Amino acid sequence: MDVLFLRNIKKEFMTREDLIISLQKIVKPYVQDQNAFNNLSEETDFINDLKINSANLVDVILDVEDEFDIEIDNDSMEKMLSVKAALDIIETKLTAS
Amino acid sequence: MIGNDIIDLSLAKTESNWQRRGFLEKQFSVNEQHLILNAPNSFEMVWRLWSMKEAAYKIFTQQHSVRFFAPKKFECKLMLDLKGLVCYKNQKFYTASIVNQQYIFTKAGLIKETSSYSEMGSPDQIDMMIKNKLNVLTGLNISGIEQIKSRNGAPSYYYKTTRLTSSCSISHHGKYGAYSFVKA
Repeated sequence: MDVLFLRNIKKEFMTREDLIISLQKIVKPYVQDQNAFNNLSEETDFINDLKINSANLVDVILDVEDEFDIEIDNDSMEKMLSVKAALDIIETKLTAS
Repeated sequence: MIGNDIIDLSLAKTESNWQRRGFLEKQFSVNEQHLILNAPNSFEMVWRLWSMKEAAYKIFTQQHSVRFFAPKKFECKLMLDLKGLVCYKNQKFYTASIVNQQYIFTKAGLIKETSSYSEMGSPDQIDMMIKNKLNVLTGLNISGIEQIKSRNGAPSYYYKTTRLTSSCSISHHGKYGAYSFVKA
């Protein structure tokens, strides 16, 4: 799917699949396990599977904030260890905004 | 209990940008941000505090089988001689760090002087180094010593059904790896 095209869709109308594609693009630079990245699913864990350095988790969070124009509060940030958790948080924040 | 963390400073320089907007605010308390911004070497202070938080978190995850990302809630206080104190909720973690040009290593314990064994090496050798050390300490054959990981990833070492480490923490970053363990 064309990512540039997705950028033009209003963020709150993005489907779960669209969100995964956006999130995949965000985490890519921090991933240290390419194989796990290629097989990314909702169950994928940022640290255990993608081997993202814990010091880079904050970069993922800041990039998500910038990309979706949302604010991820401390309580949400605590849970952001997997693709599923991240998608849930992004969806909740997008509907609230 | 013991937790540790190692940071390869040359990798930290390229892998993260601590001056990025939001980076400090998301992970460090106001007091810690003050320490960082007023330090003679802010970069080094960022990673010293980070390694203290991470080492303390690694104890917490051994105590409670939970994982989360809340670095800001692990509040650091610096003491003399690179020692420190990390508070999370009602719990205190005592830390000691080694800081040089190449790396920062921190270990944390629940009491001021947790008696433990630590060593640094290249990341792929850490497992063997632990087995060697346990062999020296116990006289048990290396080939029978095994690492078992708990569900949340905390390692421990066994010889058959005998547990050899009561607490164990392994870290790696870039060129460096480190272990710390308390003998069972």
